[in-house]
Amino acid sequence: MGIWRRLRNVGFWTLCGLAALAIAAPALWVLYTVFHQSLPVIGWRLLTHNTNAGGLKNAILGTLWLLFGVLVLAGIVGVGSGIYLAEFAPRGIGQVARFFSDVLAGMPSIVLGYVAYITLVVQAGWGYSYLAGVIALSVLVLPYIVKTTEVALRQVPTALREGAAGLGMTERIILWKIVLPPALPGIMSGVIVALAISTGELAPLLFTVGFTDNNPSLALTHQQVPYLTSVIFTNLQLPDPQAQYLSAAAGAMSLLLLVILILIGRLITARSVKATRRMAL
Amino acid sequence: MSPTVNLSTGERRPLLRPGTSEVAPTADDIVLSTQHVSFFYGDVQALSDISLDVHRQEITALIGPSGCGKTTFLRCLNRLNDMVPRTRLEGQVLFDGEDLYAKSVRPIDIRRRIGMVFQRANPFPKSIYENVAIAPRANGQRGNLDDLVEESLRRAALWDEVKDKLKSSAFDLSGGQQQRLCIARAIAVEPEVLLMDEPASALDPVATQAIEDLMQDLKRDYTIVIVTHNMQQAARTSDRTAFFTVDQRPEGRVGVLVEYDDTNTIFTNPKDPRTEDYVTGRFG
Repeated sequence: MGIWRRLRNVGFWTLCGLAALAIAAPALWVLYTVFHQSLPVIGWRLLTHNTNAGGLKNAILGTLWLLFGVLVLAGIVGVGSGIYLAEFAPRGIGQVARFFSDVLAGMPSIVLGYVAYITLVVQAGWGYSYLAGVIALSVLVLPYIVKTTEVALRQVPTALREGAAGLGMTERIILWKIVLPPALPGIMSGVIVALAISTGELAPLLFTVGFTDNNPSLALTHQQVPYLTSVIFTNLQLPDPQAQYLSAAAGAMSLLLLVILILIGRLITARSVKATRRMAL
Repeated sequence: MSPTVNLSTGERRPLLRPGTSEVAPTADDIVLSTQHVSFFYGDVQALSDISLDVHRQEITALIGPSGCGKTTFLRCLNRLNDMVPRTRLEGQVLFDGEDLYAKSVRPIDIRRRIGMVFQRANPFPKSIYENVAIAPRANGQRGNLDDLVEESLRRAALWDEVKDKLKSSAFDLSGGQQQRLCIARAIAVEPEVLLMDEPASALDPVATQAIEDLMQDLKRDYTIVIVTHNMQQAARTSDRTAFFTVDQRPEGRVGVLVEYDDTNTIFTNPKDPRTEDYVTGRFG
């Protein structure tokens, strides 16, 4: 091998390595900082005590409770709309709905929080509440679920639909028995992404659910809800170093939740890729 | 023969099987009849003025060059083209003498009685058993379907190969087996007519032979309409052959029916020079 070729080879691989590092570095930087800052408070106390006693229990429970609400509300509305758009909507309605969905996808979450505050918290008189927060978050993530559902359904091969239709199955049964099962992993991964986004959001919740040091209640309205991102935001502004450590710990906990959601999503996608490959239609 | 089947209720007469005491089917027993059928995809005309009779318990082959509309025509026969947006059919298709496209007729009722096997095997991503059982169950059959599944697989000459792995995925089967599974799946709905769109075009000679043998076997109970690119296949398997071709017109390329006759006549003594050119391999 000539010296120039060798040099070019080394240079190329160096650049590749640097590019990989450039992607990994920010993530590692964030992870390192957050975990390093939270080291002094890391321990079981985070899971057993509430935010007024150096723990995060109420905030973790509140975040999970909010995620559950988003899963139900945005899940049902989003998947339903996606199915409608992919399978039933006339072209005109589909285009209009997709336009609004795109607008919604680009909406700054703080604007959404503001609108939810004005209409739900104030005008509807719900006060800072679970329902207002779930609705604000759901509207925020709805476009992702609608889009992934629609795409997942459209990816189901026409050959399967026609095969089923050729056997005299009704539209409804074709949808339930033939089209939805192979599309399900795609739909699920969209829902997971939506939950991951919800986990990290602060702006829409800041205006809608308030905060409390108590455990979240099951009340839909008039009861404030604790959640992790609020702890990050508020505790960092407190003079007490312990409170600031807790802020970092809340950040670490959000990241952990995110990683778990991403892993679940990966698992589902991997299975779907395997299934799709076998379909080979 | 007067219509004895009510399309809207789906009530049917018993199948006339050879060897029974009933009247044997005659050459005049027409199951499907198209009358001046033209078909449009949006503004583009795909078929022009096709009139053709399909006879009971015969194999009718549709041959012709690519783009001549033979697949489109086949899909008109069980209203599968209804699923394609902005399509339109002119003329009439009669099924046992009744208008297939009448307002009162539901496409799903038609498709249960006129089954379809596609060009590429398209089993559902489910087990072999489920592939056969799903349509009868979806169409309202309750209870144990084991017998129906076995019978359908037997008739599709697949039972011996799959009886020990009914629960495994249909994708574990070879291409030829998958296609026979699709035939079994179609038979399980107990249709009267089977439409086959180049069912062996993606298969090797051995698998093709299996499908062709199967067709001869199925002919005893079913009426088969098959689209094929393969002229030898048409000559080997069919009773009648329709030759379609593409007509160059000022407004575009349109599929037309050139000649329809006994397979023997089409291949040995065609009336139209275009048919002769095609079957002798001079064109197409």
